[in-house]
Amino acid sequence: MSLAAEAFVSQIAAAEPWPESATLYQPLKEDQILLSDSASSLAVQTFLRMCGLPIQVTCRPNAEYMSPSGKVPFIHVGNQVVSELGPIVQFAKAKGNSLSDGLDDVQRAEMKAYMELVNNMLLTAELYIQWCDDSTASEISRPRYSSPYAWPLNHVLSYQKQWEVRKKMNAIGWAGKNLEQVYEDVSQCCQALSQRLGTQPYFFNKQPTELDALVFGHLFTILTTQLASDDLAEKVKAFSNLLSFCHRIEQTYFKEHDRESSGSSRHSKGSLP
Amino acid sequence: MAAPCELFCWKAGLGLPSVDTDSLIVLAYARFAGAPLKIHKISNPWRSPTGSLPALRTGEEGSCSQPSQIIIQLRKQKYNADYDLSAKEGADTLAFISLLEERLLPALIYALWIDSKNYVDVTRRWHAENISFPLNFFLPSRMQNKQLERLRLIRGNASLESGEEAEKELYRDALECLNLLSQRLGSNKFFFGDSPSSLDAYVFGHLAPLIKIQLPNCRLQHHLKHLDNLNTFCSTILSLYFPSEGPEGVGRPVSQAQQGSDSDNEPYKRRKQLLSVLVAVAAMLSYALFTGIVAIEHVREEEPGGHASLQGPVHEEEEE
Repeated sequence: MSLAAEAFVSQIAAAEPWPESATLYQPLKEDQILLSDSASSLAVQTFLRMCGLPIQVTCRPNAEYMSPSGKVPFIHVGNQVVSELGPIVQFAKAKGNSLSDGLDDVQRAEMKAYMELVNNMLLTAELYIQWCDDSTASEISRPRYSSPYAWPLNHVLSYQKQWEVRKKMNAIGWAGKNLEQVYEDVSQCCQALSQRLGTQPYFFNKQPTELDALVFGHLFTILTTQLASDDLAEKVKAFSNLLSFCHRIEQTYFKEHDRESSGSSRHSKGSLP
Repeated sequence: MAAPCELFCWKAGLGLPSVDTDSLIVLAYARFAGAPLKIHKISNPWRSPTGSLPALRTGEEGSCSQPSQIIIQLRKQKYNADYDLSAKEGADTLAFISLLEERLLPALIYALWIDSKNYVDVTRRWHAENISFPLNFFLPSRMQNKQLERLRLIRGNASLESGEEAEKELYRDALECLNLLSQRLGSNKFFFGDSPSSLDAYVFGHLAPLIKIQLPNCRLQHHLKHLDNLNTFCSTILSLYFPSEGPEGVGRPVSQAQQGSDSDNEPYKRRKQLLSVLVAVAAMLSYALFTGIVAIEHVREEEPGGHASLQGPVHEEEEE
């Protein structure tokens, strides 16, 4: 999101309340969406549920091209469009919904750092496995990514995407890694998250923050997505406190929400500082 | 104690023990851990065993080039600066390194390599002066292209040259990162208590260039000046772990940036003089050859010269 737009957004956003018609756009859930996009989308949905902000999820085959930054998911609220978790968190904050107000400066610094850790290692590892592991790319990623498109276009788009991701891996020095090393990185990242979480219910004790939403989004998606091999999920399953963390958030924000949607959203809003 | 390791990194300059962030990280870590490395400070990345700097050559395991790989190698040889850290502190280390790489590094690359005034006045100038002769004409711009490409891919948008907008966004992220680091450091001497760890090496590697190199055009530096604890942190590391490079390093960049190139160091001057004389002589000779003032003839026994027969010992003769 550009700066001018952002200044505009934060001015306007404060004035207007959160509309009921807010919509989140993501690629087609059954046939198209890939692990990394699905994880990002789930993270945003979790964050909004934690804030108690209602959102409708809409699947569009061209979601990636609709997004202002070219990345999914993005939300459409009132007459504004905001993409990716970071800007969405800021946007919600401008509207008076923040999860991290109760943290002190050091905790906020740590929260930001761990969010970057998840983006830097988990997200990159997901992209690597999707596009740089040949069997996953040819069996899952390319066919799924291009499923809405007809013959010549599907190959063009999926190879273009793959080429793009590989170039990025080159630039950040991941191109030389093999699958084993990537799994090791994932393990290391989970180890760090698990250490940080310890026995607490959330990363910063009693109250959920955007970090919890982000970690849940990625771990839960990794655990529930069928890939060419189960190795990735196995790496996460080695950490029992992360598993129960995922389970807890799923119970609190997804199961209960579906049962008594309006009631629990008011409840979770009320428990914020 | 295995075979002695050799570390290749960018040479010192601009008031720093090394001009390159990755080299600084590795150097600092090696000092923190007390690893007895044989350090080659060079200015030609092609002379490193991996073709890029920094690089560590170990006796049995070959060479590696990324800072994280080098640190792992050093750790394997029992030079571990993170030995005292708890598991949670280890986790924090990983998290803050990610924060640095995602938020501060792009702005640092931008400030040094992409911002045209900084690049022309400081970065390219230093590299052109310090890289050895034929390479200094194209290596700096090749390095710039590489950095530009890298930045573009990290940020994931193709509109980097458009300047203003991209710069503001990068610097905003970096400012936030600096504030977070400053808050995390607080009044501690190092990030985890009284002894430095690998996180300190990473932070030092990213901050020291911003603090020490005098860039003509960088808002980030102005902001960093106000974060006293980060400034103290860097100068503590410089004075404790790089005592030899410390004192004269602070004064030099200013004089270099402000005075012209006339105060250049001696060995290069002599070489440049020699080179220019050679070039001039070569130019005059070729002019003389082409215009026919001088002709080359083969003086064999009976053969008349004049033909362009190019084998055999060449002999010069002047004819008026």
